[in-house]
Amino acid sequence: MKAGRRVVHTGAQPGGQTADLFAAPAPALAPPPPSSLPLAPQRRRSLWYAVVFAGAPDLYQLSLHAQQFTSFVSLAAPNALLLEIQGSLRLFGSFVRLRELLDARWQALGLQAQSAIAPATLAALWCARIGEDLCSDDKTALTGRLLRLPLIATAWDAGRLQTLRSMGIQHLGDLLRLPRAGLARRLGPAAVRDLDIALGRQPEPRRAFVPRERFRERLDFETEIEHVAYLERALEPLLERCARFLRRRQAGVQSLALRLRHRVRPATEVHLGFASVTSEQRRLAEVLAQRLNRLELPAAVRALALVSGPLQPLSAVSLDAFGGGGRDTAVQLIERLRARLGEQAVYGVTTQTEHRPEAASCRVQQLSLAALPAPPSPQPFQAMPRPVWLLDAPVLLSQREVHELRLGSGGGPRDPERIETGWWDGKGVARDYYRVRPARGAELWVFQERHTKSWYLHGMFA
Amino acid sequence: MLRESASLADLLADARVWKLKDASASHRQSSPRPVWSTGKSALDARLPGGGWPTASLVEVLIDVNGLGEVQLFLPALVESQRCSDGDIPWLVWIAPPHEPYAPALAQQGIELARLLVVRPPSATEALWAAEQALRSGVCAAVFLWLKGTDDRWLRRLKLAAEEGGALGVLFRPERHRFESSPASLRVLMTQGEQQPRLELLKVQGGRPGLVDLGAS
Repeated sequence: MKAGRRVVHTGAQPGGQTADLFAAPAPALAPPPPSSLPLAPQRRRSLWYAVVFAGAPDLYQLSLHAQQFTSFVSLAAPNALLLEIQGSLRLFGSFVRLRELLDARWQALGLQAQSAIAPATLAALWCARIGEDLCSDDKTALTGRLLRLPLIATAWDAGRLQTLRSMGIQHLGDLLRLPRAGLARRLGPAAVRDLDIALGRQPEPRRAFVPRERFRERLDFETEIEHVAYLERALEPLLERCARFLRRRQAGVQSLALRLRHRVRPATEVHLGFASVTSEQRRLAEVLAQRLNRLELPAAVRALALVSGPLQPLSAVSLDAFGGGGRDTAVQLIERLRARLGEQAVYGVTTQTEHRPEAASCRVQQLSLAALPAPPSPQPFQAMPRPVWLLDAPVLLSQREVHELRLGSGGGPRDPERIETGWWDGKGVARDYYRVRPARGAELWVFQERHTKSWYLHGMFA
Repeated sequence: MLRESASLADLLADARVWKLKDASASHRQSSPRPVWSTGKSALDARLPGGGWPTASLVEVLIDVNGLGEVQLFLPALVESQRCSDGDIPWLVWIAPPHEPYAPALAQQGIELARLLVVRPPSATEALWAAEQALRSGVCAAVFLWLKGTDDRWLRRLKLAAEEGGALGVLFRPERHRFESSPASLRVLMTQGEQQPRLELLKVQGGRPGLVDLGAS
């Protein structure tokens, strides 16, 4: 879920004023500014509508519904929403009316929901959670309404609630009677902060819900399309719009999904992956073309839909102002190879710090595409020689082969490299490795199993 | 004397005069193509420029895998990565007969982060991948192991290599030695009595013949 940038501070400032400021790209949970700071003109007070749903609702979908009533919706995981409704009052008349409308909406969706309205975020949320019918914009009466609230409404963690229960504290009122410093020491500063927020003494910065954006477009054909080549042509304007959509948001995608609908058969899904985040139409089109060329249509296509993956910020590196001048980049090459041959068919290799030869090399799918500076100087590598090819599994050599290689006899190879490791994980090896050169041909890497004394071929120096 | 040389220069400047030997020499001077040492002085001495040519296709015909055919190119791979200014170029191995063993390559000094292994499902796909990699201009060397192909494809690979400035190396079975090939260099490697036998079948700008590797 994409988090919004807008942070709203609500509630009273320490000076007792009611303020509400919209800090644009501030990091989450920025501390409220000191009261001496000149604040933006106090436009309005804030009023919060909290709704808690039974069960496990899809908050994402519900937020979209809630956005019809206010521009500021905030998610309160796992099952609640907080709506700032002060700004919507003029449109809907009064908050009582607005609450009726919202509650009716949840009912229409077949959801069990409890709601509350309060001038402080947590006050509304706590009341809604416990079913306390609070519907007021009166800040002075807020403390009085909260005193009788049982502590379970806070949804604090079980340990903290247990501590309070053992202290004989059942209601918020009991808690508020305790000295503040001691409370902070026993429960932690977060609990005191929660109380301050609930009582409207301190604003709570909340993130606004921003709907997840995707490029999503459908195309219905007047006549069914049977050839992939026509499909490619038909997709061109779609890709152009997709690239423009991404460019406007200064974002890119790393995947695209193409859904081809047929008359009877189930839809064909085509997944396109990119080696890096991109918004270039040329790259989108190229990968798409590669995939479509390999695609065999099971039936004629009636309609198609192009859906982008999640939008990701475009790094400055991937902006290609001059279209690459016709030359490819490594990213494009890898992308093209992968689009046609499959993701698994294109990979890199890397070394592992491991003594067992078969475990010292492994494949890597994630290739490092960042620029690498040329290595400063050749570093002498003092190690036993290793073969270029390693067989997937060592091959047992027959008696005749052992004899031909003159292994095991007096005139055989000397100075083995002894590898004896892995006894702790059940895949222990105890081997003597030799570099041998058969009578005709190239050097081989063979070893003798030290327990069984049998010989194996393990690699070729090639 | 002066007048005579001036007239010779005039003569050479005439477009109708075709310079046989000089043409290749002046061409080489105007755009010196780097060559990469093979690591064997006996072989370097036989190759024009003293090493594997870049931006061209080299064909290696072998009767069995693992004769030391990869070893011939490892110094060139290291050099190509080290001599680059800016980003290190990529090395692409397409359809190798076995799994390339990372410790061995690291030992030689190859930058593994710039090694790409490609396993295409068919020979045609392998040739396509090789052409793409050679042409891309981001690869220093592209190795391709193939059972068989026709010379139409080889011509495409050669053009791609020249366009992308990469060293293309094609490893093929020895039975293709009598087929015509557009490769600028053809090397035959077979099992010998004491050590592998290396023969230059075709050398553009050089002399074909046997190479005694034991001398190096």
